[in-house]
Amino acid sequence: MTKPNQNKGQLSASFRDPSGFLFSRGGVLYRQVNRKYEQEYARLMESGLYEKLVKAGLLIPHVEVDQDPAAPDSVYKVIQPERVPFISYPYEWSFGQLKDAALATLSFQRRALKVGMSLKDASAYNIQFVRGKPTLIDTLSFEIYKEGQPWVAYRQFCQHFLAPLALMALKDVRLNQLMRVYIDGVPLDLASDLLPAKTRFNFGLLTNIHLHAGAQKKYSGAEVKSRAGTMSKQAMTGLIDGLDSAIRKLDWKPGGTEWGNYYDITNYSDAAFEHKKQLVGEWSARMKPTLVWDLGANNGVFSRVAGETGAYVVSADVDPTAVEQNYRQVKSAKEENLLPLLLDLTNPSPSIGWANEERDAFGARGPADMVLALALIHHLAISNNVPLPQVADFFAKTGKWLVIEFVPKSDSQVQKLLVSRDDIFPTYTREGFETAFQQRFKICEAVNVSESERVLYLMQSL
Amino acid sequence: MHFAPLPYLDPGSGSFLIQLLIATLLGLGVAIRASWGTISKWFGIKPKAKADEEDDEAESK
Repeated sequence: MTKPNQNKGQLSASFRDPSGFLFSRGGVLYRQVNRKYEQEYARLMESGLYEKLVKAGLLIPHVEVDQDPAAPDSVYKVIQPERVPFISYPYEWSFGQLKDAALATLSFQRRALKVGMSLKDASAYNIQFVRGKPTLIDTLSFEIYKEGQPWVAYRQFCQHFLAPLALMALKDVRLNQLMRVYIDGVPLDLASDLLPAKTRFNFGLLTNIHLHAGAQKKYSGAEVKSRAGTMSKQAMTGLIDGLDSAIRKLDWKPGGTEWGNYYDITNYSDAAFEHKKQLVGEWSARMKPTLVWDLGANNGVFSRVAGETGAYVVSADVDPTAVEQNYRQVKSAKEENLLPLLLDLTNPSPSIGWANEERDAFGARGPADMVLALALIHHLAISNNVPLPQVADFFAKTGKWLVIEFVPKSDSQVQKLLVSRDDIFPTYTREGFETAFQQRFKICEAVNVSESERVLYLMQSL
Repeated sequence: MHFAPLPYLDPGSGSFLIQLLIATLLGLGVAIRASWGTISKWFGIKPKAKADEEDDEAESK
């Protein structure tokens, strides 16, 4: 969670909207609803919209509580939303995750319109994955809809969802990283420049991105005469349906194929694989973690083993293909306690936004109870040249329990990494590894993985 | 006309205008679809039964 403001406990990610804000007290998260938002809040609750959205798993449930407000002068109510197990951001989502978040946002808008309300913002940061599904976490996102009114969140929707999805699907899937640079979504003129020329023949992208970017440039800073036109409800429905269809048409298949099996390309036997699964399962059951971070999770096989104990597992990998496969599995099996996440451990998500406090760095969203680092150490120590003591320092900060696999130099995967470079890693041995990690951890177990030269460790941070 | 209260995020002048254009165009499509039943009846075509999709949409995700 973002850092609380020292005076009131107000969280730094929710300062823009005058309808209310989040604050934290005694480790519990509350949302103050301001008097300014009384009418809207009442409509949300009384129209049945809240109940319908919560029932469909589209809106985070909350209870009204008798808690001292953080800003008594403006308070209408204080509510306590259900806590999200792990906050993630759009630049950490796979294509499918961002697409589902976009479609969910349009679904909120359609449902809201039915009861005379409309979304007043369409920020991707208002969506979190809860029980495996994209869920709106900002209860104060709805305003009263007046016939004739345009969709005020239209520009934001295009920047936060349509532009990055189009770039990912039609240019390069890695372009979701633009979201990390542009906190209010991808600028449309940039998206328009980067998208292939053929996208001008796609009605949804031609209008909502290319012409939209052109109109922004042409009318930049201009006062539109009394915001002259009005937009019928039918036109609003047309706009939302058009965006929905433009988003649905965008597709990205991981590695060009669906459900390619990653573990076919590993170098170890079925017995080694099963042995690793068994150890991860046993140790998770023994330590009973609530939050597990599986770093270098690939498509999440071991995350699922750890998750069998009921833990919530953040299943992070640097490969967009693996993360997409992982998410598709979450969806198809309706898994509720696993969050696939796109993360480069050698350059994890930093804290970004105003005063560097709006969106937390990855490390600040921990620590986890248990961290899995399987078949990862050689990528950090050899590919990325991080000295083993520094790798140990990093893991000591991320969680209490560490399940880590040591992959020796003789392993063919490590040999591959060394084939075209000097071996400048004299301490990269089992002994060197243990010496470095013993500075920060107590080694509780060390088990040779069957039919392999690898060793699996259970460690506790000191 | 002005919409009171004004939004707390600036929708942007260009975004506003293009939105009107797209929405008007697509709204026309919605209107035609909505009255398609009546239109096709004139030509003696039976309309297909269509469920109200939205309420079931999210549950089935």
